[in-house]
Amino acid sequence: MDDASLINPDDWVDQYGDTLFRFAFQRVRDTNVAEELVQETFLAAVRAKERFKGQSSEKTWLFGILKHKIIDHYRRKKHQRSDMNVEDFAETTDQFFSENGKWRIQPINWDINPVEAYEQKEFMDAFYQCLSQMPQRLADAFVHREVDGLSTEEICKVMEITASNCWVMLYRARMLLRRCIETNWTQI
Amino acid sequence: MKHWMFRCKDVSQKFSESLDRKLPLHERMFIRMHQLMCRYCARFRRQLLLLRELSRSDKFVGMRQELSSGLSLEARERIKASLKAR
Repeated sequence: MDDASLINPDDWVDQYGDTLFRFAFQRVRDTNVAEELVQETFLAAVRAKERFKGQSSEKTWLFGILKHKIIDHYRRKKHQRSDMNVEDFAETTDQFFSENGKWRIQPINWDINPVEAYEQKEFMDAFYQCLSQMPQRLADAFVHREVDGLSTEEICKVMEITASNCWVMLYRARMLLRRCIETNWTQI
Repeated sequence: MKHWMFRCKDVSQKFSESLDRKLPLHERMFIRMHQLMCRYCARFRRQLLLLRELSRSDKFVGMRQELSSGLSLEARERIKASLKAR
């Protein structure tokens, strides 16, 4: 059986459109861009269907293409947003410390067990909302590292930043996120 | 000027960095010693580890999926048309 015959583009939109869209939307956080990325993914897949070997599922193959499209999107965006750099968020983390380097806004004891965290709806809502509201570039770095588990090297490539900038951005993202959760989580 | 291991600001940054790359042994020891002495930095450490654990669990991915809607009807039709046109 020809491997290319295993795939059926006519069913893709109904079968995988929503899943691919959600995956893209979580990363780019723009409905129009996410829709375009899904469309580009399907079109690229049609062009490349002869190369589909059937070694992975059709869904995995499409996700692989979408991931590349998302990386391309970030690269394009980086060039459009050259004014945005790591120093833009310096003040946001400096505010947590006094001049002698001690905590000025001290971390609160969350007293939460990771296993039970998902049962605590208020905590998870605060977590999700804070992540959604973070400055996009910091949220991107956080999602790449903590949700997708990319290495520093991979994040540097995707976001076109240096390794030291990557670590500083992740630090600032974590600081903002944990503080935002403390402010918005009603249990504290 | 105090050594960085006595400054919460520096230790917090170093600890965050330790989640992204392997620090030299002596730096890891400085961080750990500071966190044993400073309850706020110990809390900060537990908070970051919790966020990492939650972010990487399948449930979090599932929750984020549920909160996003699917393709709009318009986008669905447009994509189908573009596929047919090829």
